[in-house]
Amino acid sequence: LAGTGDEEWHRHWVCLKAGSAGRNRFESGRNGGQHHENSNVSKNKQLKEKEEIMRRSVSIATFFAVAILGISALTAPPKNLAAATQEKTEAAEVKIDNFSFGPAELTVPAGTTVTWTNRDDIPHTVVSTDKVFKSKVLDTDEKFSFKFEKAGTYPYFCSIHPKMTGKVIVQ
Amino acid sequence: LSRGLLGTAAPLAADLVLLLEIAMGVGLLVGAWLARTRRFRQHAWCQSVIVVFNLVLIALAMIPTFRIQVLPRIPQKLGKAYVALATAHAALGSVTELAGLYILLAAGTRLLPEKIRITQYKPWMRSVLVLWWLVLLLGFATYVRWYVPHLFR
Repeated sequence: LAGTGDEEWHRHWVCLKAGSAGRNRFESGRNGGQHHENSNVSKNKQLKEKEEIMRRSVSIATFFAVAILGISALTAPPKNLAAATQEKTEAAEVKIDNFSFGPAELTVPAGTTVTWTNRDDIPHTVVSTDKVFKSKVLDTDEKFSFKFEKAGTYPYFCSIHPKMTGKVIVQ
Repeated sequence: LSRGLLGTAAPLAADLVLLLEIAMGVGLLVGAWLARTRRFRQHAWCQSVIVVFNLVLIALAMIPTFRIQVLPRIPQKLGKAYVALATAHAALGSVTELAGLYILLAAGTRLLPEKIRITQYKPWMRSVLVLWWLVLLLGFATYVRWYVPHLFR
């Protein structure tokens, strides 16, 4: 290669990429007497080719980036959907019927909101043995909810019917 | 709250009140028998102790429970058996207790003015005894409705 530096390297690289025509131009420019006359035209052409190559490279890179993003978006579960699923599992229900809590023992992850619904035809209450929560007197179809933030075992009972007991285990 | 001793869902206090009320109902019958056998002093003591003790039970156990569990549901839930029974028991029981106290004061003391004293004791006493047992039955029904699970469900 005649000369050093970026200009020469680009010229060479452009010629290699551009094919034989470019190579011939490079060689004729290198060897012939018209090197100086054609140098400006050649430079412009080379720059245009360089821009074209850059444009292609950017297009290809963009295509690949979009493709990768698309594939990852399709394969990974969407964040919102995952959150919605988690919200769904963060609620649990206990039914009160015929003087019993059902289920009497409930295991839930921390952050779950447990809702007690009185399906009985008698009023009931939901009172934590450790005084963590306490409902008002619940008539038929009335509800009481409590969010369990911390892990632990939460025994509870009905203050009107102390024989009615239940337990929420928060993991 | 501790569990009851009758094996139902009732708390201990409710079980004790029920047993005491039944005992008092029987006690009044015994007191009536004492009157029939002309042991009037014992009769007076027996009936007086029961009426006064019942007043204490009403004040300490029944009124607080009624205020919390029944009163907020009147009149909206009067159609429900558990409210209707408790309300009827409370209303009729109040009348009976007042009538019992009146007989006590009229027959056993001279605190009341002569104008409002009774002279015909027997019809009054018999009526109150019948009412008392009616109230006792209503109280038992209330207990069953509030504290005994359904057998078939």
